[in-house]
Amino acid sequence: MKKILLACAGGFSTSMLVERMKEAARTQGIEVVIDAVAESDIADQTPFDIIMLGPQMGHAEGDLAAEYANIPVTTIDMLDYGMMDGAKVLSTALELMEKGA
Amino acid sequence: MAAGGVEWRAKIQKVSTKIQKNTYISAISNGLMALMPILILGAIFSLINALKLEPYQNFLESTGLKTYTSIPATITTDLIALYAVFSIAYNFATQHKQQGFSAGILALMSFLLVTPKGLLEDGVTKAFGYSWLGAKGLFVAIILALIVGKIYTFVLEKKFYIKMPKGVPPTVEKSFAALTPGFIIAVLVLVLTAIFGATKYGNMHEFVFSIIQLPLTSLGGTWWAMLICIFVIHLLWFFGVHGTLVVYSVVGPIWVALGLENLDAYQRGVEGTHIIGSPFFPVYVLIGGAGATLGLIIAMLFAKSTRYKTLGKLAIVPSLIGVNEPVIFGMPLVLNVRFMIPFIVTPLVSSGLAILLTTLGILPVLHGIQVPLGIPVLVNGWMNGGWRVSAFQLVMIGASFLIYYPFFKKADAEALEQEQQAEIKAAATAAAN
Repeated sequence: MKKILLACAGGFSTSMLVERMKEAARTQGIEVVIDAVAESDIADQTPFDIIMLGPQMGHAEGDLAAEYANIPVTTIDMLDYGMMDGAKVLSTALELMEKGA
Repeated sequence: MAAGGVEWRAKIQKVSTKIQKNTYISAISNGLMALMPILILGAIFSLINALKLEPYQNFLESTGLKTYTSIPATITTDLIALYAVFSIAYNFATQHKQQGFSAGILALMSFLLVTPKGLLEDGVTKAFGYSWLGAKGLFVAIILALIVGKIYTFVLEKKFYIKMPKGVPPTVEKSFAALTPGFIIAVLVLVLTAIFGATKYGNMHEFVFSIIQLPLTSLGGTWWAMLICIFVIHLLWFFGVHGTLVVYSVVGPIWVALGLENLDAYQRGVEGTHIIGSPFFPVYVLIGGAGATLGLIIAMLFAKSTRYKTLGKLAIVPSLIGVNEPVIFGMPLVLNVRFMIPFIVTPLVSSGLAILLTTLGILPVLHGIQVPLGIPVLVNGWMNGGWRVSAFQLVMIGASFLIYYPFFKKADAEALEQEQQAEIKAAATAAAN
């Protein structure tokens, strides 16, 4: 199963978004693993298929993209993040994973 | 402004990354961050042990519980430098993809090496004093952890160790590889100890404390240093960068040291001396999160536009525990010139007043209790200084409402108009079909 990893400073606000994304996945019948961590803990995670950063951590995108060159690394859109739009972020994630890095 | 703002944003993000990605700085901040469970346990036990309620204290004394309630605080905060030296060296080494554990224990050994020890009155029992193992020893812990971490990783990266002849099992070679930096570090730290022993300071702790820690903490503990930090943090947030994280990675050790000194005083039953310390920030600045936005979110609950009303409902609960990214990015407050003034002014007003009222003795000096994220506003204030602090926080929530309201009213009216126009348009299309 594909795994989406969200990361922000402490993994707090992203974990709120994760709950909404899971809800969206459930209602749409999509099977996917979604998790939120602190940016500094990304390396400790089991394999994942995409990294999505909270906009406040957008500055880490370049370095992470270089480190995880074979998967998509992206920063979540500010408004989607603010409105905690789980469905929208989920569809972005699925699209990007489809396209690949 | 918008285009220029985005350009600025990219520049500021670059600088922020550099500061945060600096391995020395991030080893310190991640290393201290990893001590949170210990700091929080120590703080909570301090509260349990020293809570100023006479019947409660009498109960502790008469049941003999006092002997035990005072233990956890002693082995947590009073020994914080011991935990810190391991944790920081561990973080430094793992960042360089080397074994953190070995670096950690070597750093701990070095720390104990430079710490003065002596004999107890019986002339036989050897002892370490507590004085350098807590907050006062924190800077030596940081410095040694970085030196040891650097030597350790350097030696292993450059393969600067005795190579074994072929046929020797790799495990043996590995243990020798770890031994080499250990010897180099031990000898170097011994030399350091001898050098400091020959000065009028007598040991490394005394030297670092009076030459580095004391000046730095008294500088970092001033009201203007605090206000500058708050200004910079919010300016960074305005450009969409996690300002708290960036600034805290630089000044964090100073505030932690000051907070721990206050906690130590509280534990002994006296009021601390540092107005500014680690809890100042969550208690007086982040009322509802960066920008002290709790009042703004309350205003949003009464919004006329659906957009802001939805956002307000979404944001209110996390905001009570200081997580306000929904408002920061959903309002948005990032690169939004309209809200720039209240976003920067509100936390400055709140902290400025807090400093003033503490100086005047109207507010107590905070106990130095490191409050974990998840403890809501008002409660974190009460834990750190009783009802007066909570009352002040409550007043500041009102102030936040008043400062943000004029700006929010306009934004809300505009959003409402947009929504109504969209509705009219939709109705017109429906009618046309």
